Amino acid sequence: MTAHPDSRSSRWAALAALLTTSLLLTACGSSSGESANGTGQATSGGTLTFAVGSDSGCVDPQQVGSNDTIYSVRQVVDSLTDQDPETGKIVPWLAKSWDVSSDATTFTFHLRSGVTFSDGSPLTAQVVKENFDAVPKLGALGILAQGYLSGVASTTAVDKLTVRVKFKEPNAQFLQATSTHSLGIESSASVKKTPQQKCSQGVAGSGPFVLKQYVQNRSITLAKRSGYDWGSSLWSKKGEAYLDKLVFKVVPEAGVRAGSLQSGQVDAISSVGKANEATLKGGQVTLQRRANPGVVFGLGLNNSRPILKDTKVRQAIRYAIDRQQIADTVFPTGTQPATSVLAHTTPDYENLSSDLSYDAAKAKSLLDSAGWKAGGDGIRSKNGTKLSLTVKWFTNAATNQPALELIQQQLKSVGIDLVLKELQITQIAQVNQSGDFDGLWGNVTRADPDILRSSYSTKLANWYRVPASELDSVLAQQAATTDAAKRKQLVGEAQKLIVQNAHTVPVVELQTQLGVSKKVHNLDFDASSRIQLHDTWIG
Amino acid sequence: MSQSLVVDTSEAAVGPARPVDPGTGTSPGPGRRVEARRVLRFLLRRPGLLASVLVVVLVVLASFWPGLFTSRDPLKGVSSQNFRSPSSEHWFGTDELGRDLFSRVVHGAQLSLKATLIAVAVAFVVGGLLGLVAGFVGRWVDDVLMRFVDVLLSIPALFLSLALVTALGYGTVKVAVAVGIASVAGFARVARSEVLRVRQAVFVEASRSCGARWYSVLGRHVLPNAAGPVVVLATLELGTAILAVSALSFLGYGAPPPAPEWGTLISDGRNYLGNAWWLTALPGLVIAATVLATNRIARALDGEWSRQR
Amino acid sequence: MSRYVIKRLAQAVGVLWAAYTVSFLVLDFLPGDPVSAMAGAGADSAEIDPAQLAALRHQYGFDKPVLVQYADYLGRAVRGDFGDSVSTGRAVTATLTDALPQTLQLTGAALLLAVVIGGGLAVLATYTRQRWLRQLLLSLPPLGVSVPTFWVGLVLVEAFSFRLRWFPAFGNDGLRGLVLPAVTLAVPTGALVAQVLAKSLLTALDQAYVETARAKGAGRWRIHLRHALRNASLPALTVVGLLVGQLIAGAVVVETVFSRDGLGRVTAAAVTAQDIPLVQGVVVFGALIFVLSNLIVDLVYPLLDPRIVVASSRKASFA
Repeated sequence: MTAHPDSRSSRWAALAALLTTSLLLTACGSSSGESANGTGQATSGGTLTFAVGSDSGCVDPQQVGSNDTIYSVRQVVDSLTDQDPETGKIVPWLAKSWDVSSDATTFTFHLRSGVTFSDGSPLTAQVVKENFDAVPKLGALGILAQGYLSGVASTTAVDKLTVRVKFKEPNAQFLQATSTHSLGIESSASVKKTPQQKCSQGVAGSGPFVLKQYVQNRSITLAKRSGYDWGSSLWSKKGEAYLDKLVFKVVPEAGVRAGSLQSGQVDAISSVGKANEATLKGGQVTLQRRANPGVVFGLGLNNSRPILKDTKVRQAIRYAIDRQQIADTVFPTGTQPATSVLAHTTPDYENLSSDLSYDAAKAKSLLDSAGWKAGGDGIRSKNGTKLSLTVKWFTNAATNQPALELIQQQLKSVGIDLVLKELQITQIAQVNQSGDFDGLWGNVTRADPDILRSSYSTKLANWYRVPASELDSVLAQQAATTDAAKRKQLVGEAQKLIVQNAHTVPVVELQTQLGVSKKVHNLDFDASSRIQLHDTWIG
Repeated sequence: MSQSLVVDTSEAAVGPARPVDPGTGTSPGPGRRVEARRVLRFLLRRPGLLASVLVVVLVVLASFWPGLFTSRDPLKGVSSQNFRSPSSEHWFGTDELGRDLFSRVVHGAQLSLKATLIAVAVAFVVGGLLGLVAGFVGRWVDDVLMRFVDVLLSIPALFLSLALVTALGYGTVKVAVAVGIASVAGFARVARSEVLRVRQAVFVEASRSCGARWYSVLGRHVLPNAAGPVVVLATLELGTAILAVSALSFLGYGAPPPAPEWGTLISDGRNYLGNAWWLTALPGLVIAATVLATNRIARALDGEWSRQR
Repeated sequence: MSRYVIKRLAQAVGVLWAAYTVSFLVLDFLPGDPVSAMAGAGADSAEIDPAQLAALRHQYGFDKPVLVQYADYLGRAVRGDFGDSVSTGRAVTATLTDALPQTLQLTGAALLLAVVIGGGLAVLATYTRQRWLRQLLLSLPPLGVSVPTFWVGLVLVEAFSFRLRWFPAFGNDGLRGLVLPAVTLAVPTGALVAQVLAKSLLTALDQAYVETARAKGAGRWRIHLRHALRNASLPALTVVGLLVGQLIAGAVVVETVFSRDGLGRVTAAAVTAQDIPLVQGVVVFGALIFVLSNLIVDLVYPLLDPRIVVASSRKASFA
């Protein structure tokens, strides 16, 4: 079967209607401030220096889950599809078209011809198959990719440029998954390396940039791929990227990043918190913001811990948190407090703000009724056990520590002691796997509600040790249904179950805020609020 | 950095032999009032030293009775009043969550002073014992112990502390112990040379020849006479230990948030260098003033005071 | 002479061996299980199965008795092999030697600044007849050793990178990027140099030969520089070991403050990640640098000052 270009648009339009409902992504694409985009004459060449706060210790797009590193490794690989950040629609990239069976179990992609990887090998259906066979084997190391291909029955190379992915059950989210960096296509030689090798040496992709050098904890350097000619249909420039070189430097202190952007030592910085907004505003810097879809920032509770097995305790924590105060004090201007476990820009989001209200009195009475009595030092205890929880967090965003210290204060006022333990982002896979935490501070960005299944289904990784319940079947059904209205209802149901039982404690929505020098143009967000740098130019 | 003061101490050890006063252990000296007046006169002639004593007294008071200086909660602030610059209301300004920085520094004194004292105590006790045993027993014991001390000295102190932190884990007390152990060697060396010096003194020889038991010689003569320089070293070490402890907590190995350890305060303030200079500058000044003051006092104890006598 | 050299060399080797042993002992006390950490950092599958753990344990030799482990590791360390970093998987030796040039650059520049500024300060303070100037100059070194290095760095960044925008705030970019870190590191080191030199200058100025020179009608500057400084700098050499120790320790903090590549940042990252082989490598490496610099001083010293009776000097232990 060959794809006919003319039938393509109608096909994917129908598909989008079938799979993704009420895409609200338009609402979130509000780039703040006066955008310098599009002024002047775009010129090729130059180096973009981008300061990020952390390094995941890995430069394999399929394994990386932290935004600071995704910003760079995203540029190395192309995906089969791309997602329009304005409309949420899935559009062609390496696949010029695709067909989805009516029950959403079989996905057939028709690849573009003439695409090569940076190691010289061509893109074929076989390479895609190798990629899709390898990703599930990453297991917990594929922090985000986990779940994207769960339930896959087989991937077959139908012919040289046609690849077919079959699932055992309907899998509504898969098309969106193919647009993510986690399912970015790597060359055959790269796929055959071990996960550790891919992490430390990087991979050969077909993207607009090539990895030149990776020094752990210090820098990632990329160079323009000459001859690149298969960009996403969303990009404005055809052919190669404008920039010659991208240098991502790791600068852990937000204050130093902000100062260096102002003094011109770097051209762009990641993770600008509220604190540095005032300093950066005006002058030669534009602040770019975009709300991230997916699971909001919150305390992911370990539901198997003795203290946290009690729903009342979890609910008390949920009531004890003043989300508005946290959003206003720490996070970028315009950040919304969580109103569900999903951010409001995620498809099928449901507003549950009444369940996520701040009510310290209610928190206290819940703890009282659960048998946790106030002690002399203000911390509650029960049968000699202190109500003390250890929350682990990673140093990959400037907002993490102040947000957690504020939560710590808020919980203390209802009698819960929070011990904060700082970890490096490189340790995330290990912590997830071991389950050695009471709470884990974090979020997961994804423009599809199936992220709930990846995060909370007991059938998958189940990092939060949620007990098996009806939630599992609701999550499974939403993934399987091809009926948009039905899926919306099921996803809503799942959000209610998660929030009302407080399996996790949603706190604030993540709003990515970048500081970008005014001489940098077209540094654009993608649908997941990460960046594409193909169209970016300096002048 | 943490070894910067060892020069003075080694001089104390190898410098011109001090007169040994056989009576120190027993008689309290000629009249307290005269002594007190002399101390006062000594201080008044040295305004810098007086200021140093004042600073140390303030820090000690702050660490035991922080309530004397501030009634504000160091752990809780008004979040809408964050990033206020220093003013009459908030002497040191407020931090990212609206907490009063002055209150945090005052309450942090307790943690930092505790760590410092633990560090010096570990170094003093362990090092002192090593030196005492080596100097008193002599022979092969001396050789073995002093070779071990040489080895400790050959590892840069901070590296030794870092290795210990890697092994012990994070926290105020663990950091303190790590810093203490890293400075054991200096104490051992000074203690040993003092013990050797006193041992050979005439009155010690005399009391031994009179048939006194070794422990009575040790307790009555050697210890009281050898202790002086070791105590001076301990005062000198205070400053070094404050710096070493704050460096380790700056690197992130101290108490977890929200504990306001001095080094941690500066480290956290780094995130707001651009918009709130006071968060790094003022705690740093407090550390510097405290170290300067303890060093000045140590110097006075070591040199000027004994010379005046 | 050659007997002296051989003895010094043997001593240096002995100290290194003992330093290795001490670091082995310290890190062997580690309560956590290094193997689980390794497995978690780089496992293929979601579950760490016991068999895999055992295999890893075997691979790293943790299943052997401690003494055997020690002998194994020591044997390899002698050949310059400290194993692989747990967090990055790279060879420890390669990681350290890669980071070394950057740190040498930093410490070298800092040492130069420290000697020039600290030395100049000491000479001026002992030369001047203005009481207030002398007091002022002599009060600077105690200040220099009292301020926390990391704080000096941050204040310099605030002033010279963010406000004045003269120098970059972080990174290893060329000579301009070296200025602030080197100045920061030179503060405590320069203070130390000034203290030691001022002291020995004062001693030297009291000596008889100074009187002789003065009687012969030599000028003050001439006496000060030709006679006193020359004689005073020899004892100052004995603190070189101390200086080196201070410099490499200071580099840990300074490189962290300025996000500079180098040994110090490698060290800080290794401690944070509980990367035992790397921490051990760093400790032994630090001792190596320290011992080598002392060895050089020991060997050079008799050449500079023939009065020193070779057999009796024990300056390595001065620190």
